[in-house]
Amino acid sequence: MEKLLAILKKIKPGADFEGSKNLIESGILDSFAIISLAAEISDEFDVEVTVRDILPENFSSPEAIMKMIEHLQDED
Amino acid sequence: MSYTAITFLVFLIITGTFYFLLPKKFRWGVLLASSFIFYYLNSGWLTIFLAATTISIYFSGILMARINDKFEVKKTGLSKEDRKKLKAKSEKQKKAIVAAALLINFGLLFLLKYFNFFGDGVNMLFSSLHISAKLTTFNWVMPLGISYYTLQSAGYLIDIYRGKIKAEKNLGRLALFVSFFPQIVEGPIGRYDKLAETLYEGHSFDYDRFRLGGQLMVWGFFKKMVIADRAAMLVNTVFSHYTHYSGLSVAIAVLLFTLQIYADFSGCMDIVTGVAQIFGVTLEANFRQPFFSKSVAEFWRRWHSTLGASMRDYIFYSISMSKPYRKFSKNTREKLNDHFGNLIPTAGALFFVWFGMGIWHGASLKYIIYGLYYYVFMMLGEAFKPLTEKLTVKLKININSKLFHLYQMLRTFVVVYFGMLIFRSHNIAVAWKLFISIFTGFSLHAVTNGSLLKLGLNGSDYILLFATFVLLTAVGTLKEKDFKIRELIAQRALIIRWSIYLVAIFALIIFGIYGKGYNVGTFIYGNF
Repeated sequence: MEKLLAILKKIKPGADFEGSKNLIESGILDSFAIISLAAEISDEFDVEVTVRDILPENFSSPEAIMKMIEHLQDED
Repeated sequence: MSYTAITFLVFLIITGTFYFLLPKKFRWGVLLASSFIFYYLNSGWLTIFLAATTISIYFSGILMARINDKFEVKKTGLSKEDRKKLKAKSEKQKKAIVAAALLINFGLLFLLKYFNFFGDGVNMLFSSLHISAKLTTFNWVMPLGISYYTLQSAGYLIDIYRGKIKAEKNLGRLALFVSFFPQIVEGPIGRYDKLAETLYEGHSFDYDRFRLGGQLMVWGFFKKMVIADRAAMLVNTVFSHYTHYSGLSVAIAVLLFTLQIYADFSGCMDIVTGVAQIFGVTLEANFRQPFFSKSVAEFWRRWHSTLGASMRDYIFYSISMSKPYRKFSKNTREKLNDHFGNLIPTAGALFFVWFGMGIWHGASLKYIIYGLYYYVFMMLGEAFKPLTEKLTVKLKININSKLFHLYQMLRTFVVVYFGMLIFRSHNIAVAWKLFISIFTGFSLHAVTNGSLLKLGLNGSDYILLFATFVLLTAVGTLKEKDFKIRELIAQRALIIRWSIYLVAIFALIIFGIYGKGYNVGTFIYGNF
């Protein structure tokens, strides 16, 4: 989780990730950020984030993103 | 039959009577029959194209569902390696199906909407190269709403392919999803996962839904007939005879076109959302007070948002998340700093989005430039972001102050304003000429010498338009602050409530613009 939070803070410095319930609706994660985030996650966690995983529910909170990563790790 | 025609109201009453009287399980069938009758009355034999799209996406969906089912059966008991191989094989088959179906549907769209534009381009190239060959162009009639239902259908297929939704097994139900009459003319572009259930479920008559939907319809009619069609009179005068006008006349025409297109398109969305609400169907919002946007990107999230969201999900992510593109992004990020390493790959994928946004509006160079115009502003904003952020810190500007937000809104409006000039002009050369003429021919004499009264509007029209602009701004401000205006009106005492309704209806009758034979002007976005 810390690794993920570090990535998020690198992509959107200063944003309140832990306090936000919906990162997409609150505008913290726009499509620019999601692309960078997907790339960083793929590199750091050695998983393949594909277009199928780009769903609002997968990016709604750091916990949801972590859950997606764990799911992708299980698939591999 | 336009949404503003009296015949549409009769059509609605008949549809409503059958819908609410028949047993619940048949109600979606009433909507389907009405949708095809509505389409046939508008498009005649061209309904065949709508049917072709429906049938093609139906069978493609079913085939993909079969492949999925087969995979689920076969995968049990397989080793991880074999399961992966089987999955890859299934994916390949599904990809072939979705590609073929998209090719058929976008092929039809290309043939009917873009072939002449393409043909003219090729012929110009041939003639400049002194080649005598000539591509024959056709005078096709475009089926109603083809750009909308093609995009909605493509979204349905891509969502099945991506595993987001399951294929619809009932052809009739899918046909309703594609053809639902309130949204077939100019959207909103619906997503299967959000729209389908509310369409298929038989809803009981609900008085609250009826009056809230009815209120929204009246507000939509008001925007269209009182505001948009009135503003159109000046706009049409100036743009049809653009060589006669310059300076303030053109500046006002562009301003009123901005008002016209907003009132026209969002008015239509209000009408159709209200109609759908009466039948218990929730359509996605296409407008969210766009002129309160603080950036161009935000404007496009608030203006025709279902188109922007479709372009993002089906073009932007398809490109940026594809394997070769991810490789390119990774290389760029490794070679450049964080800012440009992220910006360049995103900008590359967004180019296709904005090219698509432009050409979706119409088959001409003007629309392509219209899309790319916004792209350039957006990319410049992103490229200079670190610099502007540093500058605001250095100048000690409070970026959260109301004054700064107002500046951002005005800045966005200026970009949108000149975008509207491109959008409304006959072609890009005319747009440029008019743009220059605003500045070169500018004189405040036009205010005093009466020339503004010769543009198709009289003094009372100007006053009325100004009053409606104030009303639109007030309603927008309240909505921006999350006031539920329709619910608030509905909760008032009977006498107040009905006074508001009657004033609104009389305002429509008295101030509405009616053409020959009391026909209301067609909706602008219905042409796309």
